[in-house]
Parts: sequence; structure tokens; C-alpha cells
Amino acid sequence: MKTDKLTQQKIFRDVLISLLLYALPVILMLLSFKITGQRPWKNANNTIVNKNK
Amino acid sequence: MIQYIEQIFRNLNGWGLPLIMLIIGIVEFAYGLYENHWTKNERILDIVCFIFPKIIVKPFIAYVSLLLLPRLLPDAKNIFSWVPFWWGFAIIAVADDLTQYWYHRLHHQLPWLWRFHRTHHSAPYMGMAMASRQNFIYTIFFSQIYLTTTLVYLGLGYPALFVTGVKALITTGAHSSIKWDKPFYTIKWLKPIGWVMERLISTPATHHAHHADTTDDGIGNYKGNFGNMFFLWDIIFKTGIITRQYPSGYGIKHYKQEEWYAQFLWPIFKSKKEGSELAADGPMVGDAVPEQQIILGEPAFQK
Repeated sequence: MKTDKLTQQKIFRDVLISLLLYALPVILMLLSFKITGQRPWKNANNTIVNKNK
Repeated sequence: MIQYIEQIFRNLNGWGLPLIMLIIGIVEFAYGLYENHWTKNERILDIVCFIFPKIIVKPFIAYVSLLLLPRLLPDAKNIFSWVPFWWGFAIIAVADDLTQYWYHRLHHQLPWLWRFHRTHHSAPYMGMAMASRQNFIYTIFFSQIYLTTTLVYLGLGYPALFVTGVKALITTGAHSSIKWDKPFYTIKWLKPIGWVMERLISTPATHHAHHADTTDDGIGNYKGNFGNMFFLWDIIFKTGIITRQYPSGYGIKHYKQEEWYAQFLWPIFKSKKEGSELAADGPMVGDAVPEQQIILGEPAFQK
């Protein structure tokens, strides 16, 4: 038994949309960093360096 | 205050949720919400499925997170721990729930996957008893668990604690036979909240519709309403129906009360019931009636 053609097409289309949805929070986060000038990963590196000291 | 909330979620993800499920289950049972459907066969299946993830799946996930991931990604532990809390929350919420939406949807739309998910739909009732009811393969390959475990390893453990807690409450609430969402559709000042809520998250009305045994009443939508935590995916992909009503019957029309072990362990154990989807020579999809396909020009499958 096979999945009908229309369902296959909808699945393919919705998977493509999903890829965008998966990326959306990451893109928005990076955009917010760009706007505000925040660089939280730099603080994280500093913390690790300090810990090693 | 934050520490207090954090402690609530830590307990929720540990013993809290099973306890909440047991309490709600007792209330449902006391109010007779299972009617006379909870037979011995259903009881055994529901209880086995409730216990199995806690004693088998959780230790396996612990193995994945503690032993396998450090070997596969030795330098990646906590590399994203700098991600601010609310962004981490959004990333985990989308990654986890959208993956589960797809896992769930494909089990309905790809006929060869249906029998791994059928056990969850065979229950002729809604409630805590059936909320964990799944075939063991469906439970083991619960794809989003491994994705979220990986994200936790990469450093998003703290936001994941809250996402998984909120998600567990929403999905448990959506399966409950207590129709807690009803006031949001009937009380005037709650209606705007209800409008947003039923589009954003799964509610008893939308999720019960997914478990309906028919679509003929215009309420049941077992061909859609796939959302688990977020109903928003069903809105975006147009797979959802909102009626603010509850189906009159649950389960699957061609249910043959298959043996609990066959429902839980298919394809290792097969059903002896003739014509069952879980029988050795049974159909892949029981309600795929060829005559109907010819008349309507569309497949009957998608239960």
C-alpha cells in the first residue's frame, strides 16, 4: 500500500517549510545579537578561561 | 522565586508527572469517565505502557546522553551553554515539538508506519490510562527525545528542563477525559484567551478530535490534529480542525480488541484475531476499503 501522490506532495512541501521553522529561532536570536550588539559566547569563553586559571 | 519554580520543574520531570497522571486518572475513574470500556485486556496494555518507558526507555536515554554522545561528540559538550535562556527555550520548544509533530504525522500518513502507532488509537476512551499507550517500537524511536537529549548535551539543558515540563503538562492535559478547556469556549471573558489557546497548544477538544472513531460528525479529525504541545503546526500546515466540540466516540472502527501483548510488541508478537491489522496475514491498514477508493477517488487511509 502506497501513500497517494497528493499526500506525498504535501509532505514534501511541509518538510521544506519545517526546515525554515527549525531555523527561525536561531535566525531571530542571531538577528537580536546583531541589533543589540550582544556577544554572549565571548562571555562564556571568558568564564571558561577564568575557571582554568 | 526562580529556584522555587526550578525545583517544581525538576520534580515534574522526575516523579511529579507520573504522580499527576495517577491523581487525574483516579479522578477520571471515580467519575466513571472510562464508562465500561476499560476491560482487563485494555487495563493490562495501559499499565504495561505506563511502566515500560520508565524502566526501559529512561535508562536507555541516560546511556545515550552519558556514554554515547561524549564518544560521538567529545568536544561538543556544553558548547552552546552561552545561549540566553529564552532563546534556548524557543530553540528547544520548536526542535522538540516540530520533530514530534512529524514523527506523529508520518505514522498516520505513511501506511507502513501506521501499525506502530495504532496501539495509541485503539483505546475506545480518552484519559490518563491511554496517554502513554504505545507500541514499544513507537516509544523507543520517539525521535524528538534523542534530538532534545543531544541539545541538552550541547548545553541547552536548563531551558530543556522547562520546555519538557510545560510540554508534559500540555500533552497530558490534552489527553485527559476531563474537559478543562470548556470554560474557555463558554464564559464570555475567557473566550479571547480560548481563541488564542486553541490555536497555540493542544487542548482536549482538538486532541480528542484526533482520537475520534469517525469524521462523519464534522468533529472528529483523525486525519489531522497531529500537534502535541503546539497546535500551531496544524494551523501552519492546514492539518487541523477546530470545532470546540468533543467526539461522541473514540478509537478505531475496525478495532478487534487485539491481545495486549500483540498491541504492545507487534511485530514480535502477532494477533490471533482474524482480519486484524496486527495478525500475521492482516491488512496493513484495516479501513482502507478498495471500493471506497474507487468511488471517492481518494485513499481511505490516514486514520
